[in-house]
Amino acid sequence: MNVQDLYAISPLIVLVTWATLLILVDVYIIRDRNGGTPILAALGLLVAMGFAIAQTGQQYTAFNGMAVVDGFAIFLQVLFLGSGLVGIALAYNYLQRMGIERSEYYILLLYSISGMMLMAIAADLIVVFLALELLSIPLYVLAGFGRPKVEPEEAALKYFLLGAFAGGFVVYGIALAFGATATTSLAGIVQAVNAGSANLTLLSIGAALILIGLGFKVAAVPFHMWTPDVYQGAPSAVTAFMSVGAKAGGFAALLRVFVSALPELAADLSPVLWVLAALTMILGNVVAIAQGNIKRLLAYSSIAHAGYILMALVVFGNTQVSSDAVAAALFYLVAYAVTSFGAWAVVIALEKAEQKGLALDDYAGLGRKYPGLAAAMAVFMLSFTGVPPTLGFVGKLYLFRTVLEGGFIWLAVIGVLTSLVSAYYYLRIVVIMYMRDGDPQVHAEPWLRLTAGVTAVATVVLSLYAGPLFAWASQAVLKLF
Amino acid sequence: MTALQIIFLITAVITLGAAAMVVITRNLVHAALWLIMTFFGISVLYVLLNAGFLAVAQVVIYIGAISILMIFAIMLTRRVQQDFGPQTNAAWPWALVIAAALFGGLIWIFSGWGNFFTQAPVMGERADPLRQLGMALVSPEQYVIPFEVASVMLTAALIGAIMVAWERK
Amino acid sequence: MIFSEVTSAGAQFFQWVPLILAFPLAGLLINMFFGGRLPEKVIGIVGSSAVVLTFVVAVLQAISLVGHPEGAVVPLADWIHIGELHLRWAIQVDTLSVTMMLVVSGVGSLIHIYAIGYMHEDVRHNGDPGRYQRFFVFFNLFILAMMVLVSADNYLMLFVGWEGVGLCSYLLIGFWYDKGEGGIGNAMAAKKAFVTNRVGDFGFLLAAFTMFGAFRSFEFESVFRQAPEVAAIIPSAIMFITLFMLLGVTGKSAQLPLFVWLPDAMAGPTPVSALIHAATMVTAGVYLVARSYPLYSLVPEAQFWVTMVGALTALFSATIAVGQFDIKKVLAYSTISQLGFMVAAVGMGATVAGMFHLVTHAFFKALLFLSAGSVILGLEQGHHHVEHDPVLRKKAKNLHHFDPQDMRNMGGLRTRMPITFWVFTIGGLALAGIFPLAGFWSKDEILLEANHLYSWAYIILSIAAFFTAFYVGRQLLMVFFGEPRTEPAAHAKESPPVMTVPLMILAGLSALGGLLNLPGIHTFGHWLEHTLEAATHGEAAEVAAEVGAEAAQAGALGFDLGIAAISTALAVVALGLAWYLYDRRYKQMLDIPPAKRPDDPLRSILGPVFTGMERKWWVDELYWAVLLNPYIALSKFLAQVIDWRFWHDWFHDVVIAGGFKWITRLTAVRIDLGGIDAIANGLATVTQGLAQQMRRLQTGYVRNYALSVFVGVVIILGYLILR
Repeated sequence: MNVQDLYAISPLIVLVTWATLLILVDVYIIRDRNGGTPILAALGLLVAMGFAIAQTGQQYTAFNGMAVVDGFAIFLQVLFLGSGLVGIALAYNYLQRMGIERSEYYILLLYSISGMMLMAIAADLIVVFLALELLSIPLYVLAGFGRPKVEPEEAALKYFLLGAFAGGFVVYGIALAFGATATTSLAGIVQAVNAGSANLTLLSIGAALILIGLGFKVAAVPFHMWTPDVYQGAPSAVTAFMSVGAKAGGFAALLRVFVSALPELAADLSPVLWVLAALTMILGNVVAIAQGNIKRLLAYSSIAHAGYILMALVVFGNTQVSSDAVAAALFYLVAYAVTSFGAWAVVIALEKAEQKGLALDDYAGLGRKYPGLAAAMAVFMLSFTGVPPTLGFVGKLYLFRTVLEGGFIWLAVIGVLTSLVSAYYYLRIVVIMYMRDGDPQVHAEPWLRLTAGVTAVATVVLSLYAGPLFAWASQAVLKLF
Repeated sequence: MTALQIIFLITAVITLGAAAMVVITRNLVHAALWLIMTFFGISVLYVLLNAGFLAVAQVVIYIGAISILMIFAIMLTRRVQQDFGPQTNAAWPWALVIAAALFGGLIWIFSGWGNFFTQAPVMGERADPLRQLGMALVSPEQYVIPFEVASVMLTAALIGAIMVAWERK
Repeated sequence: MIFSEVTSAGAQFFQWVPLILAFPLAGLLINMFFGGRLPEKVIGIVGSSAVVLTFVVAVLQAISLVGHPEGAVVPLADWIHIGELHLRWAIQVDTLSVTMMLVVSGVGSLIHIYAIGYMHEDVRHNGDPGRYQRFFVFFNLFILAMMVLVSADNYLMLFVGWEGVGLCSYLLIGFWYDKGEGGIGNAMAAKKAFVTNRVGDFGFLLAAFTMFGAFRSFEFESVFRQAPEVAAIIPSAIMFITLFMLLGVTGKSAQLPLFVWLPDAMAGPTPVSALIHAATMVTAGVYLVARSYPLYSLVPEAQFWVTMVGALTALFSATIAVGQFDIKKVLAYSTISQLGFMVAAVGMGATVAGMFHLVTHAFFKALLFLSAGSVILGLEQGHHHVEHDPVLRKKAKNLHHFDPQDMRNMGGLRTRMPITFWVFTIGGLALAGIFPLAGFWSKDEILLEANHLYSWAYIILSIAAFFTAFYVGRQLLMVFFGEPRTEPAAHAKESPPVMTVPLMILAGLSALGGLLNLPGIHTFGHWLEHTLEAATHGEAAEVAAEVGAEAAQAGALGFDLGIAAISTALAVVALGLAWYLYDRRYKQMLDIPPAKRPDDPLRSILGPVFTGMERKWWVDELYWAVLLNPYIALSKFLAQVIDWRFWHDWFHDVVIAGGFKWITRLTAVRIDLGGIDAIANGLATVTQGLAQQMRRLQTGYVRNYALSVFVGVVIILGYLILR
């Protein structure tokens, strides 16, 4: 082992150590739980982010090909750590208000983020699998954080059972990939494929199984059915974190594995991904129309957006386009993360105990009573729809462009048409907020206001100066083996 | 028939039987225990295949983390540990047919591949697999990251188990 | 300073062009953040001066262009950089874009000033003075978006402005969102406008995608330069681009078949109707076709379709305008009709004529809307006066349901609102195309070109012009002449100077606008030539030459006395007919008892045809029946039947459980072995019973979800195995 190896995983080491120490600090030092833990947790995220950013521009593998440092990994690590910060900001007052404040929330959050970060740097299928489990297990518990109420408990159990079910497919897939290539490292798989010693049929079945397991994590149709129930039952702050972090984690692994290790399988798997992406976009957007509960609506919306990002994966076999596609997917993830966090901040501000305040009708009159909050929500809805000048528009633009460049014209047409459909239900929220009378009750605590405000401004401003952000995403190329 | 094959067959029968018992038994704790048995059988299969690390990971993750979490959850959250509902629904023959077809399809595909029928190489007499495994698990050239990550995951699972079990005042 | 010195030093003004975006932005930010604390006057002055300053900058650009007609492209910032796609924010300064800037900011300035007075009354009449600030914020935002649209140097930036003005239009149509029919009428109108425009935007986006596919660029300069080469290699590409673009144009510029939103858009306050839905935003489609002339000139088929859409729209909506009673609806259909004239003109390649009509139309249609606003305000005040006077109150009937926009409630306003009457008359006659007002020259030029290029279009447009003059006469007579038909009309009062002064300026422009492009001198034509020629310059010109030569020749066409005489004669006859019907016949009709008296003399003559005009030829009803109801039914079907009943209920319970039952029965009958038979029968019964219990005991759907995952697995693996 050399120092460079340790340096490669330094953000991860910092975060895990910090989380573990935080357990002790929380028990022995901050006994009265007066809010010290969340601040310390946020500090840990910031420190880890510092370590991640310090690696900018480097590209090498560590631990004999188990982990890799490249622009892709750094970009995603910063995204995960940032979403952790928002996750804490959203939960800070919410947990108190709902009477479920426990400092384990923050510790489990840190562990889950460390799983996501591991996902970003994983260069070996075994590490991918362990990262998946490390990411998921804390989330299962977080989903049930509202115990002993029935809904969170049900959500957690459903998520856990189905997650374990899907995890099984990943393991099976890894096993078959190992059978086909006699290695689990991505570099080894590439070598075996290039040398012709791999069994491509077996490898493609293995890859399909991995795709299924990770497709469950990112909520792709038909592996999506848990999403509405779990999103609705879990505490909103957890849902917000889950809708961004877990999805981005799943895509991190999908992009890494498919683009860097398996481009040879495009003939087999591109049609599968094509169908998955199309189904996901169609079903997510169409079923969202019928929703009357904002959390379920956002759940279907998150399914639909997973479909859009899957489009970038469809072109994974075309090495000329795939680095553009990765950049477009990363950019879209950022756009989705910013918009989604903002929308959830507004949802949390309106939520009341016992699952009240979540119906779409509860948003009536928001525009008149809380113009700032309503304006922010309108911005998020426009961004979800993909109307300029918002991040959602720029993100969709990049995505559609890569898809067209990859030659998948009909997929892009489906994408455009479904986003047209989505205008209906996103706009309905805007209409309800501004054009119906009502008396909404809002608990807009400072951190919620800050989150909603910052994300709303970022949604618009970053779209006008999308260049630098996209340039950063474009540098976040995958290291090729 | 070699000794290895006999061990394999016995393990396979036990594993499949235990897996069937998981879904057949009505007592949830028993089901969890049968599940552990299944996991254990699978880890033995891994050992037979010379996949030492996977065997250990199987024991650590599935027996160590997942199953314990499940037993905690069952014992601490449910008063009734017996399930009285029906255990199958009308569709089970369909499921059987489809699963069998899928299995058959996979076997058919695999059988077209030469390595499918080759035997696992017998390890050298002087090899010390346990020592090798121990070295591999902590060697930075091999599995130290997965090994350490598994430990972090166990910590997280433990905290989760405590959270689930913790009674609200 | 001597003028020539200014023009020669003028190139440096190009660097100032970003200010056309900065001023409206500053105005809207000031009003947004500090407006709550400022008095109404200050808000109005801030909003208006932002636009006036924009106008000043636009004038400076025009001065610079006199010395440097080639114009300039002023980059602002990098926007998107991805692979081959390199987009920036940059402002294109050329004679075409500066013409639009001048119209938008000039007419915009006057309407902003007018709105200071109008909105003061309007917010009080509607009972929410707090919205005064919001109005000016939205209004400045609109100017900003419109400036982005006209100043873009690439199609994608143009699209940003295109969507921006759409958003402002949505916000301003729904300005009184809690008013209107059933409390949501205005909100529904806003939604209709937005959704209809999305259909058009879909066309625009497809055009943009196709364009990028064919040209690898969105920039005007690069697209136009490559157009002839691309046309030679893939001729269909340009065909698709132009036709998709036409769909966008029909949305934004309210042409057949997407025009239905514009009449409803009159739900917005009158300054909004004047600025956005008459003078500027709706002309964006015309501007787009004019700007894309180098593309259209390569595909005569597309030109044919654009001309056809424009001409038919012009005629179709002119007939509808005849049957309307709402003073603003008449003007709305008139706008659609006049936009049809412009679209037809730019479509047939007569870009100069189209743009000329766009400019004069901006003057006189803004004037007509604003005067109509003045009339409405006068009637509302008369209504207010009558309501608070106990003597008059008894005399008047139906005061509660009084509609200040219904022309049947007006009459005799000539003496009560003299300034409004005179400016309205000037605007109306300009619209009718009476010599020597602005509309006469621009419409004449379109007809002249049409006669030269597409004679059938000339015939359609001439008929439309006849209807135009007729409904103008009808409106003038119903509103201003005769005796007041209601008490509020009898007590209407003239509007304050802050409103009438902009009206008089616009009236002056409507009267003299024709000077811009007098036949034989063609100031405006030469001004635009710089841009149009530059765009089709070089190698492009060779291909465009065959088509363009004809158009260019036509552009230089002089003044055809015959055509001018025919159109003037048609207008005069139409006005005379209107006078006969709405003055003479109307007076005769007064003898009939009120209960039997028709509300319009034409109704008794034309019968059902008039009802058709009044009901807009049932286009809205058609869309509901053909598009909207099926769409709503489909989404309900997908959500309730497919997702819920089919997947959750039917698929699991009927297909799986029922399928199994069917199989067991089949086995029982076919395999006639006593033991198996009995077992199978028993099994079927047991399973059936279990399924019944299952349904009751099932608390969640986890198994269904797992099944869904498993079905996915089976299908994917099945595909991989079998392929």
